Amino acid sequence: MTPVLAASAGNVLVWIVWVVAAFACVGTGIAVVSFSNAFYSALSLIGNLGSLAVMYLLATAEFVAAAQVLVYAGAVVVMFLFVIAYVGPRREVPWAGGPAWQTIGAAVAAGALLVEIIVAVGLKAGGSLSHTDHVGGSFGTPGWIGRLFLADHLLAFEITSIVLLVAAVGGVILGSHTKRGGPDLPPRLAETQREAETEVAV
Amino acid sequence: MTGGAWLCLASPLAGAVLITLLGTSVPRRVAAWLSTASVAVAFAGALWAFFSLRSQSGHHGEITTAWTWLQAGNFSAGMQLLVDPLSTMMMLIVSGVGMLIVLYSIGYMDGDDEERRYFAYMSLFVFSMLMLVEGGNLLLLLVGWGLVGLSSYLLIGFWHERPSAVAAAKKAFIMNAFGDATMALAFFILIAHSHSLAFGTSFTTVTHLSPTAANLVALGLLGGAAAKSAQIPLHTWLPDAMEGPTPVSALIHAATMVTAGVYLIARTHPIFEHARTIELIAAGAGALTLLVAGLIALVQTDIKRVIAYSTMSQIGYMFMGAGVGAYASGMFHLMTHAFFKALLFMAAGVLIHALGGEQDIRQMRGIGRLMPLTKWCFLVGALALVGIPPFSGFFSKDSIIASTLNIGWYGKVFWASGVVGALLTGIYTFRLWFIVFPGEPSPFVREHLHKHHGKEGPWTMLVPVGILAVLATVGGWIQWAPRWHYVTTWLEPAARTLAAAEPTNTQEYVTSAVTVAAGLIGIAIAWAVYSEETLRVPAVPALRNLLEHKFYADELYDALFYRPASGLANWLTRDLEEQVILPTGPDLGQTALDAGGAASRVQTGLLRTYVFFLATGAAIVGLVFLLVK
Amino acid sequence: MLGPGTSWYLALAGFLFGTGALGVLIRRNPLIVLLSLEIMLNGGNLALVALSRHWRNGAGQIFALSVMAVAASEVCVGLGLVVAIHRRRLALDVDRLSELRG
Repeated sequence: MTPVLAASAGNVLVWIVWVVAAFACVGTGIAVVSFSNAFYSALSLIGNLGSLAVMYLLATAEFVAAAQVLVYAGAVVVMFLFVIAYVGPRREVPWAGGPAWQTIGAAVAAGALLVEIIVAVGLKAGGSLSHTDHVGGSFGTPGWIGRLFLADHLLAFEITSIVLLVAAVGGVILGSHTKRGGPDLPPRLAETQREAETEVAV
Repeated sequence: MTGGAWLCLASPLAGAVLITLLGTSVPRRVAAWLSTASVAVAFAGALWAFFSLRSQSGHHGEITTAWTWLQAGNFSAGMQLLVDPLSTMMMLIVSGVGMLIVLYSIGYMDGDDEERRYFAYMSLFVFSMLMLVEGGNLLLLLVGWGLVGLSSYLLIGFWHERPSAVAAAKKAFIMNAFGDATMALAFFILIAHSHSLAFGTSFTTVTHLSPTAANLVALGLLGGAAAKSAQIPLHTWLPDAMEGPTPVSALIHAATMVTAGVYLIARTHPIFEHARTIELIAAGAGALTLLVAGLIALVQTDIKRVIAYSTMSQIGYMFMGAGVGAYASGMFHLMTHAFFKALLFMAAGVLIHALGGEQDIRQMRGIGRLMPLTKWCFLVGALALVGIPPFSGFFSKDSIIASTLNIGWYGKVFWASGVVGALLTGIYTFRLWFIVFPGEPSPFVREHLHKHHGKEGPWTMLVPVGILAVLATVGGWIQWAPRWHYVTTWLEPAARTLAAAEPTNTQEYVTSAVTVAAGLIGIAIAWAVYSEETLRVPAVPALRNLLEHKFYADELYDALFYRPASGLANWLTRDLEEQVILPTGPDLGQTALDAGGAASRVQTGLLRTYVFFLATGAAIVGLVFLLVK
Repeated sequence: MLGPGTSWYLALAGFLFGTGALGVLIRRNPLIVLLSLEIMLNGGNLALVALSRHWRNGAGQIFALSVMAVAASEVCVGLGLVVAIHRRRLALDVDRLSELRG
């Protein structure tokens, strides 16, 4: 680990910004998972994304930060908000439902993943992560990214575009109106349908 | 001469195939004449082969190979035909008598629904029998052997709607299969030693075998011969085989197939001479059979059964002759027997045909007055059978009996049984004649006799009967052992009579006299009992039962073989198959279903469960990764 | 580099990932599940960007952009599904939507 205290004003500023952003990130992350109201969860996500954008700036990834705000916060979360509004209010106790072992097991699994990542990073890669070199001025700029996309990573670029196309088509099809007189639902689903209708009334 | 042999063999096969392929597209008559023509062409081929062999000096004959039929390791067998004196004699008998009988069948089987199938089978049989006698190595002989058994099965069971016919066909086939098996075992021993089944090689191989092995080979061959020729102990199938149509009985179970055993002994006589004990056992079996069959024939009431037991008895004579080493005498009797036995069967067939299928002799009383031609032909056959000169049987049978005199004390026993057999033959044959033919026609006869347009039968039936009657009269004149012996001389290159089996002229004359006397006494007894009714049949119920049940041979085999086998089969079905094997299938299926059901409980359908497993799995993999690296 | 070292970024990324995983496992509302999924993806993105900076290799940032695009597409399709389910008057509860069971 690098020495926490370094005698430089710029460094201190960066540290402060980093810690604030990190706390915001953590807090909003927990908030997203915890709120029972989906609307609040989506709004927390905006905060999360914003703090992450700050992090990216600190890591000299300007274009990625910009894309994060534009795409994620600007488009994805907006989509979420629309759908949440369309679906309407839902009451849900976040930690309830399902067998008890599932809840505990989920906590254990997530915790295990976290610990493992930390251990992996700390123990194994500790040495090589100790010192970071300076980067050139064009690192992380849009032009630099663009050149990389069209030269070294052209295949990734093209495949990503195809994925986006497929998703767009799929989204349209899924969202289109079903014809009248579709097949009957299986009995279990029909049951949930009736419950859903009563639930809306609540 | 080999061309003649090939023609003789191929013609009936071509006939059978052609009839089969033409099927119902030709009228039944055409199929019948096609079959007859194919056998006639075979006879022409046989004549060709015979005459060209005659013109060859030394008459040694030759083997002609068409192609190598079988090659396995260092064993190879060719598609070979043998043309030598013995085989040409048999070819002439088989194709000649066969031609007459197939012609007779045209009249006998007229109107039957499945006539074409019958004639195809008849052609197939003639082909099989010719393959048997013409085969140039033991393997082809076995092929013919098996095919003959098959044709016999097909023809005995020809009227397959009758359960008794089907049962009789099965019985014949199974007993013959037993004989086939013993022959195959004998061949295996030969192959193991010499890697060849050619005649010459096999005969020399036997001389190198240990006595046990040689005896086993001969015993195997004897098993096959006894099964095919219905000698004791494999004799019970022949009377039942009378379920087949009468021409079938005439051809297969009198003239040709059942004599195949005698031919086998004559053909493979070097093997038997090397296992002299077995050869004498063959003679003993023949002697025993001729007595037993003669006794059983005394109480039979079915006309065909009487003639069948008579066949069994006469083949016993042939076995006796071949067994002591008098191969030529045995073959000569085979030839004359073919003539008069076929004659007897066919004459009986004329009666049966005229009476609409009745075969019980007690119903046929007095038919002679209404069917004189048949009566006289039957008389000719009967006299030939008993061995009265100048008919053919006299010349051949007495030589056999005389040939047994010089081979030891058992030879004397054989001689005595031969003479007693002649007495029995006289009795049962003329019992049959006196019951059926003379006297007033019975009411049954008056009612059921249907003549064919005023004649006793169609010309296709009467002409062969007439021809055979002539042959039964003159057929024996080509050999009279003391004076002239063309048959023995002709067969010498192939089957030389053993020295011990050569009777002196004195023995011949004495034997002839005794045998003819015995035959005449038999005729007289029959005349007294059945015609004049001055003597009565002694009433000994136990003896009568014994004879009527054929010495309980069928019951014995039933207890020895059939009951244990069917008991085993039933036990296996009941306790093994139904308890153990059958439930296994559904059980296996049920187990698979249960396992699948248990396994499918993992698929809860809940998203959270799946993701949970996913996350857990990733955690575990990460842990392993950390520990390992 | 100024500020915290790369390890701090990675630790934070791991935390985000774990939190997102917890949300996916616990919540029943499919919308919240999708949101948690976004958290996880962002955690991954952060790690990519930090390491890209550490090794001065642009591939990390490129990959982060691709991940962003894919995440957007996946959210689009997922929300389409949610809308379709809602339109059919079914309960928006992943525990109830379990027809694909053995």
